[in-house]
Amino acid sequence: MIKVRIPTPLRPMTEGKSEVEIAGNTVSEIIDNLGSAHPGIKERVYDEKGEVRRFINIYVNEEDIRFLTGKDTPLKDGDEVSIIPAIAGGA
Amino acid sequence: MLAIPSSIITNMIAHARELAPHECCGILSGTEHTIADAYRITNILAALSEQDLTRFDGAKLTDLQRLSPEERADIAFQMDAREMAMAQRDIRSKGLDLLGFYHSHTFSPARPSQTDITIAMEFESYRAKLHLPEPFHLIVSLEHSDQPSIRAYRIRESQPTEVPIHTLP
Repeated sequence: MIKVRIPTPLRPMTEGKSEVEIAGNTVSEIIDNLGSAHPGIKERVYDEKGEVRRFINIYVNEEDIRFLTGKDTPLKDGDEVSIIPAIAGGA
Repeated sequence: MLAIPSSIITNMIAHARELAPHECCGILSGTEHTIADAYRITNILAALSEQDLTRFDGAKLTDLQRLSPEERADIAFQMDAREMAMAQRDIRSKGLDLLGFYHSHTFSPARPSQTDITIAMEFESYRAKLHLPEPFHLIVSLEHSDQPSIRAYRIRESQPTEVPIHTLP
């Protein structure tokens, strides 16, 4: 199982949990399975083309998946996936 | 105390002016209490869908929903995640740390807004797990356009504390 960190804006879909355990061998499988377990979440992570939304970074452990092999990045037991919105703010 | 080379202060103010009335945003690298470099990051707020806007909450979300996409960037910013990741990689390759974030307030003072504080706390909740140092939050205000101001803060437990800026030659 892979520990997945859920950002604050998506926690309403995980019953408020900041971390969930999900099965999967790649980042893509994790997001698919996360979406099955917590409906609505996949659509918030991917855009209409199935790409990670422009304000979201996905990390495996401490590395952004863009610098690994993207959504195909393989995972092993003990890895942690973090879904993290890039910094925002406002006046 | 936060030490910043004068060229970087000039650069941040220029960035704010170039994008006004939209808010600009960027990342600062350095070590400990000294800024080494600034990275301009695109404010993608105008490109966010209605659903994406829900990454904001409370009054800010209501305000954003009332405005046209183009006007939204006047009162808020959202960094482009890819550019942020590229900047972080560059920072790491130079042996520096991600030391802070900056953005502009076009019409209001250089003080963190409630949205700035909420999102700084969101960042704080995962920062340690990504082994990032505590960031400085800098705000460039163009409220008095002939006299732009820039202030730095630490934000802990939703409380901003100003950190004096020491300008390096």
